[in-house]
Amino acid sequence: MNTIKNIALSFVAAAVLAGCGGDDGKDGIAGAQGVAGQNGANGTSVFVTTQDVIKTNAQHAYAVYADSLIAAKALKEQLAIFVANPSDESFSLAKKAWLAAREPYGQSEVFRFREGPIDNLTQDAAGNWVLAPEAGPEGAINAWPLAEALIDYTQDMDGLQNPENPSTLPAGGNIIADIDSFPVIDKATIQAQFERGDDEANVTSGYHAIEFLLWGQDLNADGTYTANRDYSAGYRKASDFYTVGNQMGQCTSGEAGAANVICIRRSQYLLAAADLLIDDLKSVVDAWTPGTGFHYQAFIKEETQKQSLAKILEGMGRLSYGELAGERMSIALRTDSQEDEHSCFSDNTHRDIFLNAKGIQNTFNGQYVRFDGEVLQGASIYNLLVVAGKPELANKLRGALEDTMAKAAVIDTTAKLGYSFDVQIQQPELKGAVTNTIEALKTQTQVIKEVIEALGVTTGDLEGDTDEFGG
Amino acid sequence: MMKKNALLLSMIVVLSACGGSGSQGKAPEVVSPPVVIVMPGQPDDGLAPLSATTPDPKEHLAGGEVTTQVINQDAFSQSAPAIRSNFELDGVFKSGDHLFRGVHVGQGPLFNNPTCQGCHIKDGRGEVPSSPDEAMTSMFLRISDGQGNPDLIYGDQIQTFGMKEGQSQGLLPKHGGAIDEGIAYGEAYAWVEYQTIAGQFDDGQTYQLRKPIYKVKDLAYGDFNPDVRLSPRVTPSIFGSGLLHAIPEASITSYADPDDIDGDGISGRAVFVTEPISGQQKLARFGYKALTTSVLEQISGAYRGDMGITNIVAPQESCTSEQTACIAQAQLEQDKEQDGLDLSVLGLAQVEFYNRLLAVPVRRGFDSANQTWQADVVAGRALFFAAQCASCHIPRHKTGEAEASLLGDAGLLEVAPSHTPIAALSNQVIYPYTDLLLHDMGGSCATIERETAQGEACTQGAQCYWVQRCEGLADDRPEGSASGTEWRTPPLWGLGLVNTVNARATYLHDGRARNISEAILWHGGEAEKAKAQFKAMSANERQQLLTFLTSL
Repeated sequence: MNTIKNIALSFVAAAVLAGCGGDDGKDGIAGAQGVAGQNGANGTSVFVTTQDVIKTNAQHAYAVYADSLIAAKALKEQLAIFVANPSDESFSLAKKAWLAAREPYGQSEVFRFREGPIDNLTQDAAGNWVLAPEAGPEGAINAWPLAEALIDYTQDMDGLQNPENPSTLPAGGNIIADIDSFPVIDKATIQAQFERGDDEANVTSGYHAIEFLLWGQDLNADGTYTANRDYSAGYRKASDFYTVGNQMGQCTSGEAGAANVICIRRSQYLLAAADLLIDDLKSVVDAWTPGTGFHYQAFIKEETQKQSLAKILEGMGRLSYGELAGERMSIALRTDSQEDEHSCFSDNTHRDIFLNAKGIQNTFNGQYVRFDGEVLQGASIYNLLVVAGKPELANKLRGALEDTMAKAAVIDTTAKLGYSFDVQIQQPELKGAVTNTIEALKTQTQVIKEVIEALGVTTGDLEGDTDEFGG
Repeated sequence: MMKKNALLLSMIVVLSACGGSGSQGKAPEVVSPPVVIVMPGQPDDGLAPLSATTPDPKEHLAGGEVTTQVINQDAFSQSAPAIRSNFELDGVFKSGDHLFRGVHVGQGPLFNNPTCQGCHIKDGRGEVPSSPDEAMTSMFLRISDGQGNPDLIYGDQIQTFGMKEGQSQGLLPKHGGAIDEGIAYGEAYAWVEYQTIAGQFDDGQTYQLRKPIYKVKDLAYGDFNPDVRLSPRVTPSIFGSGLLHAIPEASITSYADPDDIDGDGISGRAVFVTEPISGQQKLARFGYKALTTSVLEQISGAYRGDMGITNIVAPQESCTSEQTACIAQAQLEQDKEQDGLDLSVLGLAQVEFYNRLLAVPVRRGFDSANQTWQADVVAGRALFFAAQCASCHIPRHKTGEAEASLLGDAGLLEVAPSHTPIAALSNQVIYPYTDLLLHDMGGSCATIERETAQGEACTQGAQCYWVQRCEGLADDRPEGSASGTEWRTPPLWGLGLVNTVNARATYLHDGRARNISEAILWHGGEAEKAKAQFKAMSANERQQLLTFLTSL
């Protein structure tokens, strides 16, 4: 399967939904049980089982990763157009494609923290795809903070933009500039330098490496860096990609002129990083592909349905609390450091926050709106709670998730009005929106715990014996 | 405990007041109250004695329930399984991890590395620079005078990097630079050169060891004190430290045998010091020389000393009163996180929690489906006991209740005033292979010399280096209550994954040993006999012992 075409994919997803046992809440023959599916009436399920819920969840995992893959391919196309002809217009389109690519991916993060492909997918000695703890592509796809000085030129800012360990920098300063150490820039080079020197800040691949190559450091509008940030994101010049080949003009590295070869290498890096991102995403998509994906098959097994349900809820809880409220929001708020801001080059962190929260809500509601607007709706945990005789709890979590979304929408809207997240964590009158969202996430986590309790999926289902599931 | 056969007998020896030595079979006539001497090595943990030949049923779970199944490059970076599904604790752990990896505003002026993780590479060991031209970034030299007091100018550790306004890259040392220019350069540049020592096992198989010679140049703040002592330290791994912290003091002191009552030539010594914040006398169980009582004390000292990040436990910048350039630079640091400190109490508490909850990797060589060990692992384990390695590297302990942080319970946005013990770490049977006591490991050092690059004696100037040469493991630098030949037994758990986590990592306190075999061969002093037994083993037995150690 070389390229997934949008249209083909929609068909696949539709076919998949038609193939699931249980009720997708759609009437008639488009429903899950075809003509037999009489229960589905306008999205209200009368009878939903755990099995239905985990199947829906698995299909939506496939859909959200497939969307991420499609958007990454669209990004690659725009990047190729851009480096061939680096005009301001094509640069702008390339950045828009990156932002668009983040939309589905942000909603996929609820599929982390549950021993799934994104965290654990790897190839064994025989080349088979398997799951092994912590061996997955997540870091290569989405790791941050990123010591950008390893990749390309930087302007010294606040002492916080350095590699953890100066000794892990290449002799020539950075990969793009160091032609001696890295004569060829391709996927293999980027992969080999990932976590160079075992320094976890040395992130060379993934969304944020591409982001840095498109935006550059997030300096102030006047190109300086001071403690008081402004609303502007990074401002890399299109001339950083001018080459003799594309006949746009003199290659630059920021303010300084640079040799033609540097811009060629920068372009190569950009395209290779996009290719790598596509490869990594595709491996996750394949694992989740309904019918054929090995993890899809494992996840929907009847005999382990309780474990699968526990995994879904664990992912929701761990993303809500530790990852989103904790690492992505509270630390940035406390330290007031751009280094602790997720998408710091593009100032797109407000979307990361909103979309991560949205993913949790999606999972609970058994719903996902695809990038092309198609609404996927299947059996939900909400339905399951109702069927289990817990309608109050179902509504309680639905309310908590809606409250979080309302609070996160404030961060999102404020950013769209010109106060990016890095400004919001700095200005006292804007910090409240961040704190409120953190508190809402904490509250929803408490309710998720109640749901785990109510559905009788204890952590024991997940951890099993430490011999099996520890770590 | 497993000290040969005697230990399987009752260990309470009642000696009469007249002494029980070489009596002629007559009962003494004068009866005084008997003196009860408890032989070392009997912790009151309710566990049956550990067999030298048969592993415990759950021995593969080195950290008890705090064991991770991850055995790849991230083996030392995992949280205890019990907190993964506790969303709040998982969140605290995760925030601590982020801070542990990240750089801080207000770092410096003097530091060895800007981040915790920069030294504790992938939460594992640091490394020796690959050449004298590379500055030390995950190891450093401790420094003192002959009595172990801090050097008046340099304090107790040589920080390689300094800072200058407007330049964020660490500033390497420059001879006299801080004095001449008033700039906070790094303190001094240290490096290591190795001499090869040849030796052979009893069966004639030869080996080579690297004997280190430490050299220091580019002293930026003036000369060292005339009786200077140096002690190189490579960053140790930190996983499992929360479990070690939770071993009851009485269990550890039960192994202490300062007067060698049992006559086995091994005399572990317990050290008690005053714990910061609580002010209580506690067993010093952390640090290469058993200097600190807790993970909190250890990390707060590392923040200040290694990174130049002040905190509530260690609030003073690491400039000494003699380092005016450092003091001036510190005053330029306006960006404090909380109450004039670089690191907030919350940040410190989260990092403490993170450190304490890092899990121990599961043992390899165990087939959990059939509950069987590889034969070589079991054979090597028996050799480990037979050679008396287990006299200091005590295989098994049981934790008590893991006390709460002295700082309070960390959340996401604040530290609560409550103090909740950490259930995940409590009452665990663990297999760390350490007694956490001080032992005399032998060796000695020559007086530190001043030499040129050519090895000629000199007295001053940029080309006149300080050179330390030692025999054996000694560093000749007293520290706390430890002498210049004493070291705290390090835990061995995770030993076989050290190079999986960091391929460049080496072994022992200063990384001189390139592999586990070399590390054993450097043992001396109280471990001389154990080392001799290792050398006397057949090649096959040595391989079995190493297979066992690699399975840890």
